[in-house]
Amino acid sequence: MRLTYFAYLAASICLAGVLYRLGRWFVLPLGPESLETTPLRRGINAGRAVFAAVIHPRRLALMLRALLLEVAGQRQILRQSPLRWVMHMALSFGILLLLLVHTFDDYTVARLFSDYAATLNPYMLLRNLLGLLALAGVIVALARRWRDPVIRGTTRRADRLLLWLLAAIVVSGAVLEAAQIVSPNFFDQMVVDYMGSDDPEEIAPLKAYWAKYFDVAFTPPPAADAAALEEGAQLHADYCASCHARPTSAVMAYPLARAFKPLAATMARIDLETWLWYAHYLISCLALALLPFTKLFHLLTTPLSLMVRAQGPAAADAAVNRPARRAMGLDACTHCGECSRHCSVAPIFQVIPNREILPSEKLSGVARLAAGRTSPRTAMALAEGSFICTACGRCTLWCPSGIDLQDLWAASKKDLRRSGYPDPHGWIRRHSASQWAEILAGHAAPAAAKPAVCLTDNPNTFWACVQCSTCTNVCPVVAVSADPQRDLEMTPQQVMNLMRLQLKEAAMGARMVWDCVTCYKCQEHCPQGVRVADVLYELRNEACRRLSFAQERRASNPNRTTIIPPASSEGKPGA
Amino acid sequence: MKEKEIACDLVIIGTGMAGMAAALFAARRGLDAVQVGITGELGFASGPLDLLGVHPVAEGRMVGDPWQGIARLCRDEPLHPYAKLEIATIRRAMEDFLAFLQTGGYPHVTLGARNQMLVTAAGTRKPTYAVPHTMQHGPTALAHQAPCLLVGFEGLKGFSARQIALSLERHWPDLRPVRLPFPDAQGELYTEHMARSLDAAETRQKLVDAIRPHLGDAQYVGLPAVLGFYRTERVLADLQQGLGVPVFEIPTMLPAVTGVRLRELFEQRLPAMGIRPLWQQRVLGVQRVNGGRWSLAVGYTEAERLVVARSVLLCSGRFFGKGLHARRHAIQETIFDLPVVQPVDREAWHHKDLLDPQGHPINRAGVAVDENFRPVDHQGNTLFPNLFAAGSLLAYQDWMRQKCGSGLAVATACGAVNSCADFLKQVAPA
Repeated sequence: MRLTYFAYLAASICLAGVLYRLGRWFVLPLGPESLETTPLRRGINAGRAVFAAVIHPRRLALMLRALLLEVAGQRQILRQSPLRWVMHMALSFGILLLLLVHTFDDYTVARLFSDYAATLNPYMLLRNLLGLLALAGVIVALARRWRDPVIRGTTRRADRLLLWLLAAIVVSGAVLEAAQIVSPNFFDQMVVDYMGSDDPEEIAPLKAYWAKYFDVAFTPPPAADAAALEEGAQLHADYCASCHARPTSAVMAYPLARAFKPLAATMARIDLETWLWYAHYLISCLALALLPFTKLFHLLTTPLSLMVRAQGPAAADAAVNRPARRAMGLDACTHCGECSRHCSVAPIFQVIPNREILPSEKLSGVARLAAGRTSPRTAMALAEGSFICTACGRCTLWCPSGIDLQDLWAASKKDLRRSGYPDPHGWIRRHSASQWAEILAGHAAPAAAKPAVCLTDNPNTFWACVQCSTCTNVCPVVAVSADPQRDLEMTPQQVMNLMRLQLKEAAMGARMVWDCVTCYKCQEHCPQGVRVADVLYELRNEACRRLSFAQERRASNPNRTTIIPPASSEGKPGA
Repeated sequence: MKEKEIACDLVIIGTGMAGMAAALFAARRGLDAVQVGITGELGFASGPLDLLGVHPVAEGRMVGDPWQGIARLCRDEPLHPYAKLEIATIRRAMEDFLAFLQTGGYPHVTLGARNQMLVTAAGTRKPTYAVPHTMQHGPTALAHQAPCLLVGFEGLKGFSARQIALSLERHWPDLRPVRLPFPDAQGELYTEHMARSLDAAETRQKLVDAIRPHLGDAQYVGLPAVLGFYRTERVLADLQQGLGVPVFEIPTMLPAVTGVRLRELFEQRLPAMGIRPLWQQRVLGVQRVNGGRWSLAVGYTEAERLVVARSVLLCSGRFFGKGLHARRHAIQETIFDLPVVQPVDREAWHHKDLLDPQGHPINRAGVAVDENFRPVDHQGNTLFPNLFAAGSLLAYQDWMRQKCGSGLAVATACGAVNSCADFLKQVAPA
């Protein structure tokens, strides 16, 4: 069989891929700790840590407990949503058990039970039930990705394609089995192989019996008198019964087979069941080959991650092991999106359409950064998203894969700063407000990139301002400054004054705008109802957008490297 | 956004002096009241509470006894809002109001039947009825022309000790100005920050140490109004003890700490007294619904809830408070579009001379009310039985020139709340 080569090929790709992905755990730079060590040392230390955990009774017990409760029992998902739990259990156990009793039956059930045959019960029933289970899981998973607005927003094409791939495997298997049930060609082949006869007279009673009880669709249908059936039953008992139960137990395939019956002649003519066999086999090989390169990899990594998580947070690990743990975390993500659903700053994504704000999306940004596959634009976006994060830790609490996301973000923020992408506040400190006015003036974002609500461009926002300075008086940031002019460059009411004059750029780089803690005192105290805090916030976002565009332009024009000039030597104090 | 609905007896619209006084009186009378408004404007209260400082305005004659002055004003200007009230009612309203401030730890001082003469940041003298206890020694020192050290601070705009001393040269020759750095601060100073930092004993000690070398023969020390926020009594006592002489505040430019002290006092005490605050929100729309009740859409930029009230007391102020709005040709009342008493056309809004001592006709524009403080139309007919108005929004007064702002606010708020309570009693509760 040529097809076996594909299986070997897929298995080789899978194995090589798994080794490659595992190897990267010790190579990817994730966090400042990676600078002080080598891949070899990372590998050796990880091995030591695993060994130490396995020989330590308490830690081993913790891992086994995690294996039972978190991996097998999916406790975290059950806590979050029973429906999701049912979905994931159906999907994971459906697929895993199918692998066991069906895909690799030659190495499992066939070894255990000498009378094993795929068309006998309980195997036939079990296979069909597991197929239905997996299919139900896929359907619920697709529905979840479609129905929940947050999850729908974070769902990528790959997430959906993988679910469709699993569905295709199950459905192609069921259709294949149905086609085999009704196929007269298949019957003829089997008779030649097992009965050793091609005498039509001799086979006729068996045909009659199989047409009646096994739904094989012969053309023309054989005569089914009582005598023939009785003789057929005898033949069946002699040659077939040890391997064939009635197809009615194929709960998924049998209804399909009944539906196919009218088409059986055509199917036989084009030898459809062989094509279906190819399809089912190749799709399954494809899934196997894809495993290490898609989130299917989580089948291996998530259990590991959960067992490591049971040992404690990443902060408790030896520094040398943290980068590998982070890399494992990147691979353990199933992109389920729960972190984004519970992220404290996810609402900001409604205003700033930067996907890197959402933890589930930021994770791939971090992976790209570690792999050195970022452009200045994407790095800026990642920096913006990363530094909006308040490190509240909810993503880590909710992650069903046990990834220490908080540690990952802390490390990636440091990596971003090191690679020249500090938080936007870091940029702003490099120049004075008037220098920024010049820099930012040349980089107005295109109109399409403007947010739907824009206060700062609307003169009505400021018409009522009488420069009474209430905002400045109540501002706690001004209050803690010993010299506001020096520390903040402008006070809130001075920013509002510039805005009244529509000198937006002049205000955008002022430290006041960037040091605003958005306590909203100014806005709540303003006797004229000017939305002071909202304006400061918007200015900040606009400056960020312009910085991003400036970076992009610099990237596309390597000769002009001074769009954001380096800080002058007489920079601002504290810069 | 889904609108939530609140039902109540009375909605007070406005959080200026009149609105806060109305809330106080409503709470005292046990009315179920909701108050809507942006409280920031109370920061524009400069400290002294005027009852009546000048009458007649055209002559610029300062009033010695405000009670006699009010009696005369009511005779001369029978349409003035004061004329709708008994003197005894005004007196009681002021007493209640001052008692409230006293309990709140921010007592005010009056001379009973006499106005006191207060020095302003511009170096002028102004007659007023009550002053915060932090300012009480100022009028005494001025009256005695006592040797006094007047301290200004580097970086504080709108307060120059030297300018004040120069302006007052004739009335107070022994006023000696000095300009000092404020402890632990550089650059531009803001009064609220100074006051908060003086709430700390350490800063007070540093200030005392800074002032003492300049004391000389001074029997008083005057400072801008920044002597603490929540602990004015403590701050004043510490400074007086440290310097060994009485210390007093001079009102600063607005917004001022004096106003914010009042604001915070009201914000803290009114809810405890039963007022339901919808502060930092505004009335965005109003409708008369079944049974004549008022339904008000309330929110900051969009309606967040509906308040359905059996009566409304409008204390929305004038142009700055946005109770009145000057359009191209006419002045409008902004919430109910009530008839506004005003000059026939724009040309008559102002006299030729900006500083005309008698003031301008537009200053006396406003909402006219009946004897129960209910807005009336141009024929004098009461518009609604359950809509009341008080404070500077009212027509036929010029509170700035007459120097009667606080008195007018407190007294008319009291009158309006009384009428409102009577109305609510007459009508069976909903």
